[in-house]
Amino acid sequence: MTYTVADVAIIAAAMVIAFVLSSKYLKSTEISMAASGVVGVAFAFAHGWTKEPIRLLVEGLFNNLDLAILFICASFFVNVYSESGALNAITRKLVKRFNSKWVLMTFMGVFMLIPGALTGAGSVSVFVLGALVTAIIRFMGVSDRKTAAFVFVFAILSAAAPPINLWTMLMTAQANMPYVGFELLLLIPILIVGAFTIIYVGWGAKRQSKEEILKVLPEANEKYDGAGGWVRILLPILTLLVLFILALVLPYDLPVLGLPLMFVLSTVVAILCNPGKAGLKDYYGMFEKTMEQVFPLVATVISVGVLQNSMAASGVKGLIGTAFVLLPFVWIYATVLLFAPFAQGSMSYGSAIVIGTPLIFMFNTAGLNTTVVCAALSLMFPIGDCLPPSRIVGRLTIEATGYQGTYTSFLKAVAAPCLLLGLLALIMLIYPNTFAFLA
Amino acid sequence: MSNHQATAQPSKLLQKIIILAVVAVLAAIGGISFRNQRLFKETVVSSDALTETRWLSDYLPSLKGTYSDTPIFVYDSGVEGGSVLYMGGTHPYEPACSLSAFIMMENIKVEKGRVFIIPQASYSATTSGILGNAYPVSFDIKTDWGKSTFKIGDRVTNPLDQWPDSFTYIHYPSGQSQAYQDLRNLNRCYPGRPDGTLTERVAFAVMELIRSEKIDMSIDAHEASLMYPVVGTYVAHDRAMDIAMMAAMDLSATTFDMKIEQSPGSLKGFTHREWGDYSDTLAVLMETPEPFIDRIVGPLTEDLMTEGKDLFLSFAGDKGLTFVPYSLETGWPMRTRVGRHLSGAAKVVEYMGMFFPEKQVIATWPSYKELQELDCGHFLHDPATADPDLVFKI
Repeated sequence: MTYTVADVAIIAAAMVIAFVLSSKYLKSTEISMAASGVVGVAFAFAHGWTKEPIRLLVEGLFNNLDLAILFICASFFVNVYSESGALNAITRKLVKRFNSKWVLMTFMGVFMLIPGALTGAGSVSVFVLGALVTAIIRFMGVSDRKTAAFVFVFAILSAAAPPINLWTMLMTAQANMPYVGFELLLLIPILIVGAFTIIYVGWGAKRQSKEEILKVLPEANEKYDGAGGWVRILLPILTLLVLFILALVLPYDLPVLGLPLMFVLSTVVAILCNPGKAGLKDYYGMFEKTMEQVFPLVATVISVGVLQNSMAASGVKGLIGTAFVLLPFVWIYATVLLFAPFAQGSMSYGSAIVIGTPLIFMFNTAGLNTTVVCAALSLMFPIGDCLPPSRIVGRLTIEATGYQGTYTSFLKAVAAPCLLLGLLALIMLIYPNTFAFLA
Repeated sequence: MSNHQATAQPSKLLQKIIILAVVAVLAAIGGISFRNQRLFKETVVSSDALTETRWLSDYLPSLKGTYSDTPIFVYDSGVEGGSVLYMGGTHPYEPACSLSAFIMMENIKVEKGRVFIIPQASYSATTSGILGNAYPVSFDIKTDWGKSTFKIGDRVTNPLDQWPDSFTYIHYPSGQSQAYQDLRNLNRCYPGRPDGTLTERVAFAVMELIRSEKIDMSIDAHEASLMYPVVGTYVAHDRAMDIAMMAAMDLSATTFDMKIEQSPGSLKGFTHREWGDYSDTLAVLMETPEPFIDRIVGPLTEDLMTEGKDLFLSFAGDKGLTFVPYSLETGWPMRTRVGRHLSGAAKVVEYMGMFFPEKQVIATWPSYKELQELDCGHFLHDPATADPDLVFKI
């Protein structure tokens, strides 16, 4: 043993101070996270805990590289698809076909659930459908703030929805539990919160008349009319969905493509389906625009990686985990709705490993149903996707919906559905054996 | 252009050049370290009982030339009997397993039957660390002649060798969905596929070795966090349960506490399940306590790896949250963990001979008690003075 609690607590405090000061003077969350990481690693080096401080920092840059590549490829797909006019055309068609606000909102909610449920990433739902859903929900007379809340809540619900829930998968993998029996445990709370969100967002909103909406929407390219038009509109998104599904149903017959390449292939289809005259120069422009848009988010996930490495090397990660697992059960119940989401905000999916796995073992020792416990925690972590420092899905939502208000006002808008999700999960956590019949 | 603009632009350009230069220097330092880890070889001096060295690619040629091809050391007594496979390095971030294989190789004597040893089963995973965990690259073991250095690797195949991951891993042939990164986890990929991913091919090659060499008992060595219920345990396939149960009782009565669990049928891809289901071998997995990989430990140092002493974990131990006893005074040092594996393996081999005399293997290697007394380094031989034909760089 070469450290004391005070050693690690001092480092944690120094990292927080570095983050606050850097945020104040450099006005950049990303640089502040990296600066905080550098401070942690510097302390670890000074204590003699690591011989290779620079390696640790560089290695941290790679922690979330896959995520960064996914963000770039998915954003490019969305921009190409949107610029082709397909998004506008599909919006017009949906507005023409459906009159009921509630029907349209329910469709949008269900659509949003699909990409995230298939891939385990709420960000994919935002990328694929965020812009379309925003347009439709706004025309239902919903305010910008609540529209952003709708997109965010359905994005995190999609990430938590079966069949692919990454938090559950990571916890079961660490605990050597089979990934079975989670479908109803995850789906029922998600459907309850989804229904609540639709009512919460749609209540009091006055749908514009069909004519008014169509007047505001730009005219669609005539090549989007008729059956051929539907093919042009749907083929890029169907390509993506088919690739997702093929990866699930024919995993042994296809090479592993990975999400980024799936988006690239769908982008190629979107380019081929574009009825407009766009040349290489135009697509290069779209790519430049994509990089401009996505750069802050890429910087965030890369900086979070540095912070994650630094927290591990300096023992701060252990300090947080220890503080939590040493709490009596009643205190865990009282604080888990803060701990779990904030862990997600700072460690992304690492939260499931650092906080989730020890909790599963703890609950196991108390004879409580670990499948329900795991599902409950998996419903709490996604809430943190709007919390600092990373705020990944929150920021993507702001980007996709073009919400102009403050981030705090966005957080207030998502609070009610998130609280409901958290409370349902908390009830499952407190009474896991009661819900065991759903497993 | 105003004078102000004219001076501002070069200044901004200079800033960019400086930032790029700093990034280049950091990248070079980091890159050199990554490269060194990728190319580092551990040195082992085999005992003269070695009769043959093979490669995993002998059982699946498509592995040849990849970072997943790994050597297999064969110790054949020439006397008819059973055969045993001892495998370390399934998860190279659990290095007591490879080290136990090395110590076994350096000191083994075989009187009856054959012993196959794979010290680094997931070789590719030895060539990188776990992202986000800030592990040290290696640790040193003091020997009677100096020191020997060993790697601390990853849990899964290096992404340089197998990338990208799918968004979910679907196990072959059960179709069970598992966490995405388990597509690169050797101990989730059995029985493997000859034309699958690199990790699935490694799994298939190991299965082919077990099947074609008619291995009677296969032992997969692991380390586990102390907050993991299966720590300090044999996990045995149904057919190996009697043997493992007797071995656990014997060890617990005479040497150290050892638990026993039956391999659950619902967990797919594991050695203790698929080795037994897809061959006639008696499959046993062993877990020894490794504080270093507990989620709540403090700074991740080489000392923590070798001595296993951690303050935060002791708080959890005091609260009864660990599944084996834990105290700061003793920790879980490497000699204890390696010793558990060596005696744990010896005991199941011994009981296999009692249950099935026709499969008896008589082989000796250092025991738990010897390790406790003399430590790991005592059993590692000096490559400088050894017969060069018996020195291997892995």
